[in-house]
Amino acid sequence: MTQGEKEARYSAGEQMIVSAAHQIIDNDVVYVGVGVPMVATLLAKYTHAPNCITITENGIVRVTKFPMNESTDVQTMADQLPGMFYVNCLAQAGYINTGFLGAGQIDRYGNINTTVVGDFYKPEHRWNGSGGGNDVISFCHRTIVTIRQSRRRFLQKVDFITSPGYLDGRPGQREEIGLPPNTGPSVVISNLGIYTFEDREMALKSIHSDLGVTLDQVKAEVGWDIKIALDLTDTEPPTDEELRLLREVVDPQRIFARRAESSGWQQQS
Amino acid sequence: MNKVMTMKEAVSKYVKSGDILFVAGAQHGTPSATLHEIVRQRIDHLSVVSVLAQSTLLIGEGLVDKMITGYAAQDYTVSYPLQKAKAMNRFPVFEEYSHFGISLALSAGYMGIPFIPTKGHLGSDMPKYNKNIEVIDCPFIGGKIAAIRAIVPDVGIIHVQRADAEGNAQKWGSLGVDQEGINASRKVIVTTEKIVDSDIIRRDPNRTIIPGFRVSAVVEQPWGAFPARLAGCYNSDRGGVMRVDEQGFEDYLKNYVYGVGDWNEFVEKVKTSKGADYFDKLRIKNPVTSEPIITGL
Repeated sequence: MTQGEKEARYSAGEQMIVSAAHQIIDNDVVYVGVGVPMVATLLAKYTHAPNCITITENGIVRVTKFPMNESTDVQTMADQLPGMFYVNCLAQAGYINTGFLGAGQIDRYGNINTTVVGDFYKPEHRWNGSGGGNDVISFCHRTIVTIRQSRRRFLQKVDFITSPGYLDGRPGQREEIGLPPNTGPSVVISNLGIYTFEDREMALKSIHSDLGVTLDQVKAEVGWDIKIALDLTDTEPPTDEELRLLREVVDPQRIFARRAESSGWQQQS
Repeated sequence: MNKVMTMKEAVSKYVKSGDILFVAGAQHGTPSATLHEIVRQRIDHLSVVSVLAQSTLLIGEGLVDKMITGYAAQDYTVSYPLQKAKAMNRFPVFEEYSHFGISLALSAGYMGIPFIPTKGHLGSDMPKYNKNIEVIDCPFIGGKIAAIRAIVPDVGIIHVQRADAEGNAQKWGSLGVDQEGINASRKVIVTTEKIVDSDIIRRDPNRTIIPGFRVSAVVEQPWGAFPARLAGCYNSDRGGVMRVDEQGFEDYLKNYVYGVGDWNEFVEKVKTSKGADYFDKLRIKNPVTSEPIITGL
């Protein structure tokens, strides 16, 4: 198969969603942001994690699968509709093990910015703010992050910390400032590769080689000298069955694969 | 006490210039009709508290001094209403929290306490720019904890499926921060799809989101949440009628806000442009009924 044909089989957005779905473990309780994180969680539910529980930031608790276009809707298929306060109490009290969110910028230590590019008072660009993002990454035992990668988005230091990662990377800092112990970002999935955290610092774990991405390309789109995991590998490409489920069942209008690729998260107006 | 009045009366009586206004509805049951009336009466210098609420109209008309929120469009390069506010020097200050932060601030208001502690917002830059989030020492187990100052809105507006004439209001479906926000508000305007007999309320009292004695005004307003959805009543029209380009926004204001006397006229006008059956098409097609709860002696 030539490279061109391979690229046509699936997109970087689909790779992001499938790789993110692989991070969900069966029986996880997942605090999931609207959009791309939700599609990935749903795909996991259709494949290897049928018993995961999805909790959306606007306050919906679901055990069942649901159509994406009704993902924030509540006419049917919710197990509990307690509102925003309650689901965040669940998270703060430690009952939600997995968080899942998108990011505008991320830095070396996994701090996330979804607030402002540039100076807070004289911004180059304004995003919509935290939403549930700060809550997810502050409280969940581990958090999966999806983001489109570029030098402007992968920074040594983010312009504004909306949602804290490992701050300046010193050990125990999250606990020191009062965040719950054993929480924080665990994996970052971009359109080029997958990163985990080694001693609280992002480390490249796999490259989307099947899409033709190279190590040089990955490095070129990181704003610091990225740590490379010793066991660096190729990202596991989506299977035909995963692609079929994603395209035909989970995201039939193919909105979210495109959105994943363009930004890694959903920006609502 | 019967608190039923017209929308015009309710808004002019209970929403004042300079108020902190709580807007209920997190992409569900937005009090759209009430927001339109506030714009029509040009009640200004508002501080708006909301999560995921549609405040574009208020901001675009320069009526908002401050947005107290966890998530709101602020990029004026892509939104004419925001540009218009900027041009009038009426672009609001954004006081930012997370979703939980807003619900905690309103909970503290609802509980009648000055602040509420949380393990969130720590390590974030939000407290640097929001004077209502402080980091304090925990008096019991030591260590740091964030303190979120209470928000007590002067007036809260909520749209519900049913309420009685006294204001006992019942809402179901996605609640966002409705429970906390409306109960934190000093004055409350309830708009309802339908005013029902009190007996209906009393047969399912767990569903009452705020009791009548806490409510100032009750307005019967069918389609009051349009273009948002309302569980069990109608679906949303995500496109809606308003556009956020210059021509679209100005036309909307002229025709659908200032060009009508009230929301019932608005509904008729939308039918004229979108078709007589437009609203019927938004009605839910397959209503699902829950098992009745049983009470009694």
